[in-house]
Amino acid sequence: MTHHLLTPYRHQSSPLHRAPPAAKLLAAAAIVCAVALSPRLAWIAYGAAGILLAGLAVLSRVPALYLAQRLLMVEPFAVGVALLALFQTNGAAVFASMLVKSTLCLFAMVLLATTTRFSDLVRTLWRARVPAVLVTTLALMHRYLFLIFEEMGRMSRARRSRSFSGSRFASWRAKSSVLAHLFVRSSERAERVYAAMVARGWKT
Amino acid sequence: MNALEIERLSYRYPDGTEALCEVSLTLGEGERLALIGPNGAGKSTLLLHLNGLLPERASSVSPIRVFGTALAASRLAEIRAWVGLLFQDPDDQLFCPTVFEDVAFGPQQWGIAGAELKDRVEGALRQAGLAGYGERLPHHLSRGEKRRVCLAGLLACDARLLALDEPTSDLDPRGRRELKALLKGLPVAQIIATHDLELVAEICSRVVLLDRGAVVASGPALDLLDDEALMIAHGLERPHILRHLHPH
Amino acid sequence: MHIPDGFINAPTAIATGLLAAGGLSVALNRIRKKLPPRRIPLLGLASAFIFAGQMLNFPVAGGTSGHLIGAVLAAVLLGPSAAVLVMSAVLILQCFMFADGGLTALGANIFNMAIVAPGFGYAVYILVRRFTGRTRRGTLVAVAFASWCSTVAASIACAGELAGSGTVAWKAAFPAMAGVHMLIGIGEALITTLVVATVAQRRPELIQERSAPDLRPGYGELIAYGALASLGLAIFVSPFASGWPDGLEKVAASLGFEHRAAAQPVLPSPLPDYAVQGIGSEWISTVLAGVIGTGTAFVLAWLWARLLTPESGRNKVGL
Repeated sequence: MTHHLLTPYRHQSSPLHRAPPAAKLLAAAAIVCAVALSPRLAWIAYGAAGILLAGLAVLSRVPALYLAQRLLMVEPFAVGVALLALFQTNGAAVFASMLVKSTLCLFAMVLLATTTRFSDLVRTLWRARVPAVLVTTLALMHRYLFLIFEEMGRMSRARRSRSFSGSRFASWRAKSSVLAHLFVRSSERAERVYAAMVARGWKT
Repeated sequence: MNALEIERLSYRYPDGTEALCEVSLTLGEGERLALIGPNGAGKSTLLLHLNGLLPERASSVSPIRVFGTALAASRLAEIRAWVGLLFQDPDDQLFCPTVFEDVAFGPQQWGIAGAELKDRVEGALRQAGLAGYGERLPHHLSRGEKRRVCLAGLLACDARLLALDEPTSDLDPRGRRELKALLKGLPVAQIIATHDLELVAEICSRVVLLDRGAVVASGPALDLLDDEALMIAHGLERPHILRHLHPH
Repeated sequence: MHIPDGFINAPTAIATGLLAAGGLSVALNRIRKKLPPRRIPLLGLASAFIFAGQMLNFPVAGGTSGHLIGAVLAAVLLGPSAAVLVMSAVLILQCFMFADGGLTALGANIFNMAIVAPGFGYAVYILVRRFTGRTRRGTLVAVAFASWCSTVAASIACAGELAGSGTVAWKAAFPAMAGVHMLIGIGEALITTLVVATVAQRRPELIQERSAPDLRPGYGELIAYGALASLGLAIFVSPFASGWPDGLEKVAASLGFEHRAAAQPVLPSPLPDYAVQGIGSEWISTVLAGVIGTGTAFVLAWLWARLLTPESGRNKVGL
């Protein structure tokens, strides 16, 4: 149900999909840093990055429509800050630069996310000697994300079919109750996962 | 040597309720034993004792012997390789990002790596009927497939005794058939806690009936299951399949 | 308040990156030393829980809806270091999997929402609870107020980073961010308190303090987070609030730094039309607004907790 929201990765057989995850991560980071940290009106740099990214997008065989949709989704927060940026000397230049930079960087990160499995990224972090607790947390979080969303969906539907009040407060109360229940379920599951890990010899 | 010997095992939950009361049983090598009983009888609790997950604080002398070795803190690591515990909810046990990594988890804890690890994992997956599943993601699998991945994970550890908690619960008929065939084909000793009495009749040679933490009866599967009064008295029933398995 | 790429400049990205790494190290260290292994899977499961919580829509007005950040929720349920790790994990996943929050801004986002929010929030929680008492009602007042504070604090840090990068003028950023988040913080307080109250009622043993009392944060830990948060706030906020910029400008000039366009300061510079008196009176009115807002928030927190604990509230069974 919500699965399509939760899986930005779109499997395709393309050179970009096949590329090693570490290389893609570094490439994305390089592009993003170069664009984000370049001077404000470095149009040549922006243009070059844009062409590079467009080329990579073609290489990835990810549908252009999907990419375009993803790039157009804007967060209200970002819009708010961008508008605030106009209210200063040099505001227009700042605004334009923010817009271009954030779009280009978003493009790079979206390409990374659609062509690379998150579990591969986590493995890359593990090999890069990121602390074990953080890597384990990221891996387990990703593994149980879908289950939690399914549980949340089930609980919400069950509550909706039992509730008669349409008031906003009732909805807040119901959702908070769902969250509390989810925490309890997550805690209980965590105990069982620990038991399963120990049962197969997990040494800490 | 018996795969499993339990001599008068008792256990109380942390809040004091008695969960197991002087349970004794033996399981021979290569034998399939079913643990049956109503809900709350203590079947799962018993299974959790087999690899030392319970009791929370290990006692100095354990009433449980696995392949002749008594459960003790110093031997737990080995014993956990011998005893493969299949949890009731495969999602609790399938915690790695991919099927391959999950099946590899056990052997990896033992330091197995590289080509040997790959061979082990692929061998276990083949045994479980999941050849080629290595790169699949857990949340794309059906419940039956998840269960078999968990089983493969235990096989990859060279488990010599499988303890299975409700292995066929909420499986669709095909999933159930596949699992049944798999269990029947595995030569290792198995102790299966289950409500699926048809499964018991089909693949288990002996049965132990547990109710309220105590062993009520034990004996050959078909005889015990045929005892309708006994079955009903303990919240179960005589499985229909007996009509086909018993000529009379 | 996920900051995208391109909204903060290099020095800010680096500074916040260092602060974030520092905070995460403190948390990881604490976890390594004190967290019992059986609670490690909980970190992963709780991260999924917080992520799911952040995605829930809480309808506000018209078609708009609010969202939970969950920093104080995580801190109260899991403990502050676990919360730092959990919030960081959520932000990392959001950045890499959903491009929610920029990569160069990851340090800033982690600093704001995974260090300032839970760390400062938890400190407020502990302090307020000492004042309101460890009864159920007293605890809920502390939870509500701490949640509100955490949201506002994170937004102020965020405003400082944006202004320090020359993206937005401080004069616009601070009131906008702080003002809006004073309102958003109310939602955070309401939801967090409701969830904590429900968990405390059904399964109190799951809340970190009850289940792992030896994980109670040591003073060293609180001081470390407090120091980090203060350092960050000092770097990004105080230059705007005090007379520092004059001093910094002089130093910059004497070192021969070219003063770039006012809209793109390397170090925060004063807005050119401020006179000292101007700063003085505007500053006082800002402080006054802050005090009134915070005071109102505390009263609202107390009223909310009262609503949730209709019994005398004097019962000693706290969290």
